[in-house]
Amino acid sequence: MAGIRLDHLKKSFGAFTAVQDLDLDVTDGEFLVLLGPSGCGKTTTLNCIAGLETPSAGRILFDGRDVTSDPPHSRNIAMVFQSALLYPHMTAAANIEASLRRSDLAPEERRRRIDDAVSMLEIGDLLDKLPSEMSGGQRQRVATAKAIVRQPTAFLLDEPLSALDAALRMTLRAEIVNLQKRLGSTTVFVTHDQVEAMTMGDRIAVMNGGRLEQIGTPSEIYERPRSLFVAGFVGSPPMNLIRGEVADGVFAAGELRVPLAAAPGPVTLGVRPQHLHVRAEGGLPCAIFALERLGRETVLIVEDRARNRLRLLVEAEFEGRVGDPLDVAPDPARCLLFDDASGLIHAPAN
Amino acid sequence: MQRRMTLWAWLGIAVAVVWTLLPIYWFLKMSLLTPDEIARFPPPLVPLDPTPAAYFNIFGFDYQVTPELVRRASGQAGQIINGLINSLIVSIVVTAITMLVVVPLAYVFARLDFRFKQALLITILLSVALPPVSTLIPFYALYVQLGLAGTLFGLIVVTLTITIPFVTWMLIGYLRNLPPVERLARVDGYSRLETLVFIVIPLARSGIAVAAVIAFLFAWNEYTYALVLVNGTPANTLATALSGFLFQHPEPSHLAAALVVSILPPVLVAYFLQRHIAEMNLVDPIR
Repeated sequence: MAGIRLDHLKKSFGAFTAVQDLDLDVTDGEFLVLLGPSGCGKTTTLNCIAGLETPSAGRILFDGRDVTSDPPHSRNIAMVFQSALLYPHMTAAANIEASLRRSDLAPEERRRRIDDAVSMLEIGDLLDKLPSEMSGGQRQRVATAKAIVRQPTAFLLDEPLSALDAALRMTLRAEIVNLQKRLGSTTVFVTHDQVEAMTMGDRIAVMNGGRLEQIGTPSEIYERPRSLFVAGFVGSPPMNLIRGEVADGVFAAGELRVPLAAAPGPVTLGVRPQHLHVRAEGGLPCAIFALERLGRETVLIVEDRARNRLRLLVEAEFEGRVGDPLDVAPDPARCLLFDDASGLIHAPAN
Repeated sequence: MQRRMTLWAWLGIAVAVVWTLLPIYWFLKMSLLTPDEIARFPPPLVPLDPTPAAYFNIFGFDYQVTPELVRRASGQAGQIINGLINSLIVSIVVTAITMLVVVPLAYVFARLDFRFKQALLITILLSVALPPVSTLIPFYALYVQLGLAGTLFGLIVVTLTITIPFVTWMLIGYLRNLPPVERLARVDGYSRLETLVFIVIPLARSGIAVAAVIAFLFAWNEYTYALVLVNGTPANTLATALSGFLFQHPEPSHLAAALVVSILPPVLVAYFLQRHIAEMNLVDPIR
């Protein structure tokens, strides 16, 4: 196992720059999630780590050793691809064994590793099956077994759960994290699903437009998003983002007034749905637009008189009908302000 | 849910089947008739007294129908046997060379990116668009000077100019739709060549098998070039040999039998590869 370091990594395809000047440290044994929308450069970054793409500039270090120009198999990484890609014409057993074809292990050690992986992932009854005869979850397990038999320096996972249904995704999420913690292997996991990122990662690196927006633990990313992009991308239901202006210590947007100690100027106020509350009066006058009952809680979507929509998290028993008037007000202590020009977070707003 | 076949669908299939099989049935039947029966009007719809005489005759054997009646070997038997051998040689060699060239070629175009790829691809595919007739005279002039006219080698070379571009074009579409196994193969340490040999070719065996059938059929049915380049020489193929009979007043049953023989190899090839043909999903080759 090893730490991975990306040093000023850059990758362009012709005129298009997929990754620019990326510095990233993955510590030994860490589960790092690369999160971002499609086209943000996260898969390209992963492919560079794997050696499937050659960086245009910058270096990749495994435990301090420069591997930038090494081919994939000599980096001793294991990769699980989108939809748990396997060789479609080979049985599960042959797929797993293919992982070890370039290793010089003794036959009994080879056998032992395969047996270990097979029993760890409970795929003994799948070994003679072709990928087309397996379910999505079974393929995922075989792909994982194929990855772990190599006892790699690092696991690289490229959206392995994206093609599965929601229930299975949830099961496998926990299984992958559990396995990673048991093996203690350095892992880089690429996803565009922020729920996956929040639930699985020790740390999350949020990427956008080929750049690293923010890196931190899930709670740091959630509580203290560094930019408007991160604030809008992470969190479900998403953060409310309201454009307005600060003057004389008050944020104003339409009829909304929030007392905030901040430098005057145009800003965007961000407030999570759980920090926006229903008031009897004195808040922003709104009408209920929709109610989404999730069982444990209810997402209330309201519309102000300027037809801006806001989301609130309220208790499950909340009574209300579409069209009912109510006032909402944010908790000033939990509001975040973002600079309109740079998109970066303002001074702490409290 | 399985959809019921409608009456119209059945009717459509029936028309297609009759359209395809009726001519084949007609000369299959004709090959089993006696000269008298063929001369009769209206012609019999089924051979009442089928006799395989014609099949013996065209390969140079007499056939004893009754103790008094012998049907004599065809005068063209030599040409038929020679044409059959030549056609088999040309078709097998063309298919083999085509596949050796086309599999790597189509793979490179389908799965790799490189400079001038589009321009090169268009150059290769352009020759699919050229009607053989347009290159016939240049080829003939060239071949006469090179001494290749009337040789099997010359015919093989010219047939390859048809099969290679066409089969490449066909196979590119198939290979494009394979899952992205190359990345997996690179992580497992397969070289590019090993990926092609051990992963892509076994994975694409249906498509490659069908491509081979197409190459074989093209070579077997090739007529235009053969007519000009080898007709009337010892390198004559079966297709041109048979067409020559039309001017020689042969026994009709001999002509019919020779035609049946000429469709046998393609039928056999298609029969043994039918599993692959059914499996292969010919998707739009040019996206």
